[in-house]
Amino acid sequence: MTILEPRKHGSAADGMVGGRLSRFEGELKITGNATYALEYPLENLAHAVLVQSTIAAGRVVSVDAAAARAAAGVLLVLTPEDELGLMTASDWFGNRSENQPFHPLPKVVRYNGESIVAVIAESREQAIEAAKLIRITYEEAPAVADMDDPKAGEGKLLDAMTVEWGDAEKALAASAVRIEAEYRTPREYHVAMEPHGLTAQWDGDQLTVWEPSQWTHGMARTYAEWFGIALDDVRIVSPFIGGGFGSKGGALAYGAVAVAAAKKLGRPVRLAVSRPQNFTSYGGRAATHQTIALGATQEGVLQAIVHRGASETSTYMDYPEQTGAATPILYKVENFSSQTRVVPVNAVTPGALRGPGKNPSAYGIESAIDELAHKLSMDPLELRLKNYADHDYQSGKPWSTRRLREALTEGSAAFGWAGRRHEPRSMRDGKALIGWGLGCGTFPVIRAPSSAMIRVLRSGRVEVVSGAIDMGQGTYTILAQTAAEALGVSIDQVDVVLGDSRLPGSAIAGGSMLAGSITGAVHKTANAAREEIVGLALNDPNSPFRDTGANTLVVSEGRISVASGDGPSMTLSDLLSAVGRDALEVTRNTLPDDAQSATDRSNAWTSMGRVQGPTMGDTSMHSWCAHFVEVRVDEDFGTVRVSRMVSAFDCGRLYNPKMVESQWRGGIIMGIGQALLEEGLVDPRNARTINNNVGDYLVPTNSDIPDIEVISVGVPDYEASALGGKGVGEVGIVGVAPAIANAVFHATGKRVRDLPITLEKLM
Amino acid sequence: MARTIHLDLDINGKTHGLDVEPRVTLLDALREHLALTGTKKGCDQGQCGACTCHVDGERVLSCLTLAAQVEGRQVTTIEGIAGDDGTLHVVQRAFLEHDAFQCGYCTPGQIMSAVACIREGHAGSDAEIREYMSGNLCRCGAYISIVAAVRDAAATLGAGQKAEAA
Repeated sequence: MTILEPRKHGSAADGMVGGRLSRFEGELKITGNATYALEYPLENLAHAVLVQSTIAAGRVVSVDAAAARAAAGVLLVLTPEDELGLMTASDWFGNRSENQPFHPLPKVVRYNGESIVAVIAESREQAIEAAKLIRITYEEAPAVADMDDPKAGEGKLLDAMTVEWGDAEKALAASAVRIEAEYRTPREYHVAMEPHGLTAQWDGDQLTVWEPSQWTHGMARTYAEWFGIALDDVRIVSPFIGGGFGSKGGALAYGAVAVAAAKKLGRPVRLAVSRPQNFTSYGGRAATHQTIALGATQEGVLQAIVHRGASETSTYMDYPEQTGAATPILYKVENFSSQTRVVPVNAVTPGALRGPGKNPSAYGIESAIDELAHKLSMDPLELRLKNYADHDYQSGKPWSTRRLREALTEGSAAFGWAGRRHEPRSMRDGKALIGWGLGCGTFPVIRAPSSAMIRVLRSGRVEVVSGAIDMGQGTYTILAQTAAEALGVSIDQVDVVLGDSRLPGSAIAGGSMLAGSITGAVHKTANAAREEIVGLALNDPNSPFRDTGANTLVVSEGRISVASGDGPSMTLSDLLSAVGRDALEVTRNTLPDDAQSATDRSNAWTSMGRVQGPTMGDTSMHSWCAHFVEVRVDEDFGTVRVSRMVSAFDCGRLYNPKMVESQWRGGIIMGIGQALLEEGLVDPRNARTINNNVGDYLVPTNSDIPDIEVISVGVPDYEASALGGKGVGEVGIVGVAPAIANAVFHATGKRVRDLPITLEKLM
Repeated sequence: MARTIHLDLDINGKTHGLDVEPRVTLLDALREHLALTGTKKGCDQGQCGACTCHVDGERVLSCLTLAAQVEGRQVTTIEGIAGDDGTLHVVQRAFLEHDAFQCGYCTPGQIMSAVACIREGHAGSDAEIREYMSGNLCRCGAYISIVAAVRDAAATLGAGQKAEAA
């Protein structure tokens, strides 16, 4: 067990993979010198502002833009009447419908808050002022406000997502002990601190877009296809991203609007999506309902799980939030049934938000397991260990690595779980009811190919170059460590260049797949670069090593020398000087040998076509965690505070524990928000998102967060990734909300089955 | 409303002249007119704290402050707290050491709040730090490390003051 203690001072080993190197790009961020998308200075910049719909469904009859066009500083007003000449782009998997026009400012309104008009002016202030003068006349149509609207109905069953084995209904009916309950989660939002937006500039047919991006290559493809230009003519620049959490993975309609405006005006355009507009410009996590029935023996041996889930989607796309994602893999169960529905409502299509699917899914199953433990009068920890899954019952495959048992036992020891009195309302401190709860989480290992370039320069610098991005996960840092270790140079020599679609392509920073993928590519490239350096030293006529008779050479701490220690030893810089080279440049990728054509490579970096799920190999690969929570509930007021947490994780090998701890804690804190604060509210009259700002949509503040101890129990998993890590970014949030809900039940005896757990539900 | 006014603003010890509309906020004056983009816009409505600057040494939300309001006052931004030779402020060093940020977008505001929080004498305990740092949202969830950084920096600055007094 490794308890991750913060350390005051670093050591030389910090520069190696697994070291606690401080954030590589950190100094730029703490001095204000990290430049984000809307901060690039451009000459002759115009400013665009969006006007969004105020009805939930219907048709734009007319737009009166005369007053706006006449307002001071206004350059252009774009309305649904303007034919922008765009075509629909490919989906995430690279599939594209032919000859489908794309209207980013649509005539048909599908949800309240859909962008309808854009006003572009010399200054942002002028654009905002003029936008207030726009008058839109609508023909309203009936709308469905949310999935609780009586008009919403039951939605559509997605057959492809049904999972069945054994005979769950029969086994459930035959079980001695049964529980059944419905669990609900509301709409939740990413609320990255950097609002969305972009700056777009055309130079002839070449387009540059400065936009926060979790996937520069994928977004470049979308812009190229929308505007009918070559992929090579689009450049997405995104070296710093002010948080994404799933929201910045793809180009969005407002991006097309800004780029079209820049084209029409022949000058660069900046479009800043306002904080309220962020709530409807892209989808957050869908609201969900799920019913779970569990059957067990009197001894607590699980016999059956029956799961029926539903989530909101839009009227124009089926996007399931997979409430059955964690249900089948957490426990040993011989009889299982899960069905998934989507319920179309008049809202923007939901999207992926940290731990998509797994997160609400774990809220359901981990709450239900706690309910079963209570019914059995059993310690919920004991119940979980008793039903520990020895393999993946869904795929039938063995786990690659699964140290959830260690997470449970070592987490419980660190928390002091053994001191728990299992009866609800049995622990208190004056007016505070104390509750201890437990919840497990999981997230799949998703793999994808990536590429990278390494340049060893005569100046002595080593550049690691990739189109991969860093939105705070630590990509800069772990790539510097990976390259320094594999190449044999000091971390101080390394520069990392990221976040540009003109650089070698990589996996998306999503699905917790980037770190494992891009470290593999950089490791491969760095090894190849080292071999090339050694080859150069042994073979170049001007190399001092040529006549040493050595078969190979070692590169260590930036010096190349003969392994025996006899003979010359010099810096890489001196070697390049000696052989008359300015630089040595090596590019490698992790695509299979039979997929190395230009088309293969382009498709690999711009689509999800080569992404591999957790059971596509011989084993089932996942990250795991167990969260132990203490809450204090005010007996009179029903206010809940998380007072203490211990979370134990199996994420395989950690490339940089300092970065990983931050990721885990960040996920956990978002989970605390989900459990106690976060809830998108919809006005049933007009389907408007009412609390579309961070004063009303509450995210955790500093004072909401207690000390959180994080523990690593993982071992390297070389099936999961080249360097042995499993995903860390998303698993942290998964299981937090049920752990808190279970703690609240333990404190109060009240089971809250719809998030967030607010005081009125406990009164 | 195209009328502009001339302002001479004292920012980080230097005078910056600019001609802007009277409605331009301090935040937009910094970011759009003076190329001081270290101060961040997270909500533009006074809810998130990302735009925190100091005016006459006190923290203010620059998105809710008009540029015209700060003429004749001393404005300090994230670009102005390191030493002239680039030596990082104690609080900046502590943020790096404790990994008190991830994406970095709320970070300048957090650091400006932290500097003021310590100066105000509100870094006496972890609970007090949490309370007085709660006007600055961090969606990456770096709060625990932020508290550790402020605690550490307060101790360093306190020790420095004692040494100076002695």
